[in-house]
Amino acid sequence: MSELNALNFSILIFFGVFIGLAGSALGIGGGIFMVPFLVLALKLPIHQAVAASLVAIVATSSAVAAVNVERGLANIRLGITLEVTTALGSLAGALAAGRLPAAALQLLFALFLFPVSALMFLKGRRPRKMAAAEPPPPAGGASALDASFFDPALAAHTPYAVKRIAPASLLSFFAGSLSGLLGIGGGIVQVPVMNLLCGVPMKAAAATSNFIIGVSAAASAYVYFRRGLIPLELTAVIVAGVLMGSFLGIYALYRVRSEKLQLAFGALTLLVAVKMLLKAV
Amino acid sequence: MFSEKHFAKLIQRTLLAGVFLSLFLLFSGFAFTVSGFSSGAPLLRAGLLALLLTPVARVGMLIYGYWRGGELYFALLSVAVLALLAVSMLL
Repeated sequence: MSELNALNFSILIFFGVFIGLAGSALGIGGGIFMVPFLVLALKLPIHQAVAASLVAIVATSSAVAAVNVERGLANIRLGITLEVTTALGSLAGALAAGRLPAAALQLLFALFLFPVSALMFLKGRRPRKMAAAEPPPPAGGASALDASFFDPALAAHTPYAVKRIAPASLLSFFAGSLSGLLGIGGGIVQVPVMNLLCGVPMKAAAATSNFIIGVSAAASAYVYFRRGLIPLELTAVIVAGVLMGSFLGIYALYRVRSEKLQLAFGALTLLVAVKMLLKAV
Repeated sequence: MFSEKHFAKLIQRTLLAGVFLSLFLLFSGFAFTVSGFSSGAPLLRAGLLALLLTPVARVGMLIYGYWRGGELYFALLSVAVLALLAVSMLL
């Protein structure tokens, strides 16, 4: 391949598998690791790194969502409701990124990673502090967005009510903008919004967020694609790796407790944030 | 009656079809490129396009499913998302 030798090919496939596995285990799109890896290790211009990352997020989301929908974990009605503003935000983010110089985009990305690493630490240290499922209101007050799923940990169906959809839609616009601007999935915003604001249980929130980010990442990826910013061979190799990793992760890591992984990834994100900041300033 | 289970299966199959078509095209592209054929790059591009169009197909299936299930509000929301995706393709 013209732009890839055998060594780079192996590294990219391996990295893609790692991102796919992490995406399945943690419910993240992987963009917060992919963009820094492409910029810092492969010296790719940040706009191209963001574009490649968005395509990889579509891959993880599509593979993982296929399983989550079938398991009844993803709330499709809630997903499509929030997708409207998320896709709008994603489109706005991609257009804004096109107007920003690479250094500014890199600085934004680095600054964004600090709160993300803090969030990962918190999630890893206090996994039980997240909002518990709220039972749906009695008949008459129920919304079409309320749902239930089978939780294998409890061996029971968990019904829940969805609240405060208007502010959640507004915040989804913000999540979508971050996605289009920085090449991340936006789950880092979307999952806490659904869990803490809407009262959706953590597992359903992560699955629904994963369902949503496929569309939001695609909306911005089209903008990058039209502008010729997607590095073809490199992205193709990463996507192949990500898809293999996602499928492996879905079946191998379904029952792995993710708290320890969260702590490890929190530390890694902090390290990446410092490196990105040093490169940007 | 178009049940929730059928609907979930339809969405799952659409997503998996897109992902596997993309993987097939990507691996064919790698094989052709490594063998020195010029058709490798177009196959890789087609593989990425198949992947990028998978969410569009998924939204299309949501429109169909909600319309058949009589949930016009959600069908309309899905149409709005599809319109946004179409706009982003043209920008």
